[in-house]
Amino acid sequence: MSEHVVVAPLVVALVTAILTLGVRRYPRTQRTISLLGIGAYAVAVITLASRVVPLGVLTGGGGTTETLTYQLSNWPAPFGISLVADALSVFMLVLAVLVVVPALVFSVLYIEEFGQRISYHALFHFMLAGVSGSFLTGDIFNLFVWFEVMLMPSYVLVVFYGRAKHTRAALQYTVLNLLGSAVMLVAIGGIYATMGTLNMADLARRLAHAGEYGINPAPVLGLGAILFAVFALKAGIVPFQFWVPAAYRAAPAPIAAVMAGVTKKVGIYAIIRLLFTVFGAATLESELGFGMAGTSFLGLFGPVLFLMAIGSIFLGGLGAVSRNDLDNVLAYSSIGQVGFIVLALALAATGEGTVRTVGLIAALIYSLNHAIAKSLLFLVSGTVYEAVGSIRFDALGGLSTKRPVIAGSFFLGGIALVGIPPLTGFFGKLLVFDTAGKAIVAGEPFAEVALAVALAGAILTIAYFSRAWNRAFWGTPSEPVTRSYQPTTMVVLVGAFALLVVVLGIGFDPVYRAADAAAHAATEWETYVEAVGPEVIE
Amino acid sequence: MQPSQGVLLAVLALPFLAAAVTPLLYRVVGERVAYFAAAVAAGAFALIASQFGTHGTVSLQWIPALDVSLALYVDGLSLLLGLIVSGVGVLIFTYSGAYMHDEPGKAKYYTTLLVFMGAMLGVAFAADLLALFVFWELTSVSSFILIGHYQDQDDSQYAARKAMFITVAGGLFMLVGFLLLYTVSGDVLGEATFRLVGTEGALIENAGAMQEGLRSAGLFVPVVVLIGIGAAAKSAQVPLHIWLPNAMEAPTPVSAFLHSATMVKAGVYLVGRFRPLLGTPEWELFFATLGLLTMTVAAILAVAADDIKELLAYSTASHLGLIIAGFGLQSVYGAETGAFHILNHALFKAALFLVAGIVAHEAGTRLLSELGGLWRALPITAAVAAIAALGMAGLPPFNGFYSKELLFEATYHAAEHAGGLWWLLPAVAVFGSIFTFLYSIRFLSLFAGEKPEAIEHVHSPPMAMLAPPVLLATLAGIVGLGGVSATAGIHLGPLEHFIERVVEAVGASEPHFGYHLPTSLTPAAGMSAITIVVGAVTYPFYGRIAAGVQRLIAIDPIRPNFYYDGLVSWLDRTTIVSGTVHTGRLRTYATWFFLAVAGLAIAGYSGAGVVFPAISSLAAEPAMVIVLAVAVVAALAVTRAPSHIAGVLTLSILGFMVAIFYILASAPDLALTQLVIETLVLVLFLLILDHLPEFYGEVDRIRALRDGAVSAVVGITVFLTVLVSTAATPGKPIAQYFIERAGVPAEHGSTLLDFGGGGNIVNVILVDFRAFDTMGEISVIAMAALSVITLIAMRERGETQ
Repeated sequence: MSEHVVVAPLVVALVTAILTLGVRRYPRTQRTISLLGIGAYAVAVITLASRVVPLGVLTGGGGTTETLTYQLSNWPAPFGISLVADALSVFMLVLAVLVVVPALVFSVLYIEEFGQRISYHALFHFMLAGVSGSFLTGDIFNLFVWFEVMLMPSYVLVVFYGRAKHTRAALQYTVLNLLGSAVMLVAIGGIYATMGTLNMADLARRLAHAGEYGINPAPVLGLGAILFAVFALKAGIVPFQFWVPAAYRAAPAPIAAVMAGVTKKVGIYAIIRLLFTVFGAATLESELGFGMAGTSFLGLFGPVLFLMAIGSIFLGGLGAVSRNDLDNVLAYSSIGQVGFIVLALALAATGEGTVRTVGLIAALIYSLNHAIAKSLLFLVSGTVYEAVGSIRFDALGGLSTKRPVIAGSFFLGGIALVGIPPLTGFFGKLLVFDTAGKAIVAGEPFAEVALAVALAGAILTIAYFSRAWNRAFWGTPSEPVTRSYQPTTMVVLVGAFALLVVVLGIGFDPVYRAADAAAHAATEWETYVEAVGPEVIE
Repeated sequence: MQPSQGVLLAVLALPFLAAAVTPLLYRVVGERVAYFAAAVAAGAFALIASQFGTHGTVSLQWIPALDVSLALYVDGLSLLLGLIVSGVGVLIFTYSGAYMHDEPGKAKYYTTLLVFMGAMLGVAFAADLLALFVFWELTSVSSFILIGHYQDQDDSQYAARKAMFITVAGGLFMLVGFLLLYTVSGDVLGEATFRLVGTEGALIENAGAMQEGLRSAGLFVPVVVLIGIGAAAKSAQVPLHIWLPNAMEAPTPVSAFLHSATMVKAGVYLVGRFRPLLGTPEWELFFATLGLLTMTVAAILAVAADDIKELLAYSTASHLGLIIAGFGLQSVYGAETGAFHILNHALFKAALFLVAGIVAHEAGTRLLSELGGLWRALPITAAVAAIAALGMAGLPPFNGFYSKELLFEATYHAAEHAGGLWWLLPAVAVFGSIFTFLYSIRFLSLFAGEKPEAIEHVHSPPMAMLAPPVLLATLAGIVGLGGVSATAGIHLGPLEHFIERVVEAVGASEPHFGYHLPTSLTPAAGMSAITIVVGAVTYPFYGRIAAGVQRLIAIDPIRPNFYYDGLVSWLDRTTIVSGTVHTGRLRTYATWFFLAVAGLAIAGYSGAGVVFPAISSLAAEPAMVIVLAVAVVAALAVTRAPSHIAGVLTLSILGFMVAIFYILASAPDLALTQLVIETLVLVLFLLILDHLPEFYGEVDRIRALRDGAVSAVVGITVFLTVLVSTAATPGKPIAQYFIERAGVPAEHGSTLLDFGGGGNIVNVILVDFRAFDTMGEISVIAMAALSVITLIAMRERGETQ
């Protein structure tokens, strides 16, 4: 069964990108098309999402989630390219919509007109196409392609302002990601050579029945590890986080919002898809060496994820506390917050049954909260820049009296990161703690360490949020703050976006159910294989 | 009788709704919004009072998927706290109306205070652990905002941040404790539940089974400690008490409301609430120690304080310690101590804070050393202070005396029971109480004697500021007189009955609560006598004692703030990440990337026990060997090239050798592509080389060695990867599908030709089977072109508008 709705988000984004290029001479038309395009994108995603996860599933009223596929050119899987929309993919797509819609509207207000006309809108929608393709594709080489489509515009958008510091940041960002692309190709080539296929469902099936297909799964573990490293680079996890602070600082605020909110999550998504769906049933013929337990591939990735999570939480947290401007704090905070997501994934990888499911739900909810809260904070930072002309703490101070709505939005975003109920961030923290608690009760290794790290990381979050708040928003209004003006439309937009953090937290039930469905979709690889239905060559 | 759902929900909703309209209302009625808030509190008080005598749970689903509900439970304990919160709330809002007259940020102040009151009522009534936690953290956040009310003051910022740091972090520990309870309840009760109390499947109703389940999972003590940390952070127990004295930066009504009468009671409330669930010898040891330690340490610190609000802050921590110790002790006396002292403390301490506010407002200073003789100017205030401070001192017949007697009785009982080191409990209780007596009298002394000349004319406070403390002191006085009349046989029935219900709620079965003056020399009466006599004898040396304590706490490792200040200032300044790890050098970053990738790959290969094919199987034709050897030589030569031109030329030797390799490997299409790319790259390089600096820079030997080692590691990893990949022979590869349907030879049929429009496998795959990839890559190229335009057009434009 080929469902055209699966490809809709991708087509909308690509067409919008091309159209905005075509009307470059007419800036007003260009902006209108861009805004209409993002609206159409949202409609496409929501239509797709409601087909995959019916409303009944979200309200607990019954119904079942489906996995829709689209076989390009109608070639049967695994010979052509399959697009697959399951509960996990649509969860990530909806997450993207929640961020990109406000980010684009903000861009129209924020980016100077000349920049918008040159290429901004086309690049934005191309990036969105890359993101959508990455979430939807069921083919690992095709994933590489969409990564490239996503990265190429991001390189330019980082250097968009064109000064020395932006160029420097973009150079580092570009070089590290090109290295990533190179090793990704090595890994994909190796996987194709050892497995004889590129289709993810086919890979999962072959790994589960290695004997039947005459496959030796042993090399795939190492090759998969290389692929994993590339995904970790996209997600900015320690030790692949080096590009993050400079790139976020250099990029225009709405782009930093999309990069922190969405493109990072592409890396997280790819890790989940690879480890839990493709490698879901992958086992080795003999026990893993070096004290790693079991024969499952996850025996390697579990401990690795732990180390990376611990590194990220501490590096990000410690880095953020002492920074002296908003963007820098937010950028380092991103590294730390992604560490929490990885921590949940680590627990999911080492655990089994409930621990695994809850771990994945925790990772997804945490991703959602980080996407919304962090992009909100970057937009706030952009608004502060617009209003005051600086985001450096020594030039700020006293914003809360002068610009209460901006301050209030920052406060909500900040306490969402800290995990104050009933905001979305609380549930992220809650579920990470819950996973660790369940792992402790189940006697999983490292669980106590995970819990201790999560607590320490949460305390670091309080430390950097409270410092940033005190420095930028409390205190005597500085001279630039006194002179600041109110960019009304931006403030309204940011304020409305901030309310989303509250609304999704209070109305958390459907969010949880969506994440629950996504977590099951990620681990139930048989369903995925069945939906894609790769043919067997006789 | 069941409580009414509508009423309880209204109690919770009322303050939040009022908070939502307060900013608007403030624009209309100005500071009179205080009386609106007071009316809201009064409404809540009336609604809660209407539930007096009911007992049970009402529940509203919140997150059914996680089985979380907004469950509200009414029993003695929740009623007590609810009435204190709303009742003191009425007085505080009234008092604020006058006190905040000249202060900034009134709209924010009243909004936050109302949110706080709603959250605090939520804490009192929530029966679901998650709902409880939600309200719990909301009180911390509103406390943060209120402590930072004078936001341009550094001290306020410091205090607010510290309070948030400690209370929110403590809350997280508590949350972990809750979650462990939740998980264990799944094993014990069949279905995991967050419901603490009030229904058949709730945790407290299955306390025995839960304790057993926790013990068998080895989690009993961790859960007690985690919940204990949460309670200790909120209720300012040693060593987490340090935020409370700083919190006095808040306006005085806030100090009276949050930081003495209500919010800090949340911790002791929690301990009381969990007492029936977790009350065991371990619990007793933990909380009795914590409570008595805090009671004593904080009382000593209070003696050293010169600022009256600081004195009251330490005193609050000390009295909270007393309540915690009471709830810790497992005898019925312990339960009675905690239950009764919550009420007594709220009455006398809120009154004293309001007195402190009046003094600061009217005399212009809060320093004990500058104050004195205020009784002439403030006679009513002095009377209030006398009743409240003597209650705080534990002097009969004032209210605090009775609950302190109960503590003495409880500690004596515990010591008599267990013997040994447990005798420390009554000893410490008496020791701490002596200091309590001392600072209480010292507080009172600011009304006595002659007024120092430095203090100018002291006005009498407005009615709105005077009435609330008078009311509180009157109530405290009535409670005290109740004990006197009870000695004569006339009991304050309703009060005793109410406290009895609280005692029941904290886990004592069939309690009979009554209080009166001691009529015989019981051990407790003896302990009280010792306290008062020693206190009175040592009072003349108050100055010396205070100076001694001040000297002691100035020593660094003992200084209360030593650890917090050290940690936070290190965090705020550390460049461990931005300086040491993130050096800004791409070389470092690339090294990390390469080594991490190589490490992961090697870990994967060796973990899986990959067997690498023998080198002998790599035999190749002589021509191939020569081509590859030239390529290797060229690669080495690139690293040693003396100029850009030489480097680029040598690099293209490598590229052309790869092209020849493709020809030898029968891949003419790849070879053509490679040749085109090599030629283009060479031309492009040569065109831009002119614009680059000629000098490469010196490479020192150590770095060269390190870089050499990194490249060797990367080279070996890629080599191994290629080796295992090319050696693999997977069965049924998808390539077979294409080969079997290719146009050549003819017997394969015409599938590719008919449906793919071509006979060349590679071409059909590129433009049909994998056309999607091709389209994506074309977009990338288009974007690359767009990037060039952007880079040129946006060059040096910066963020200007």
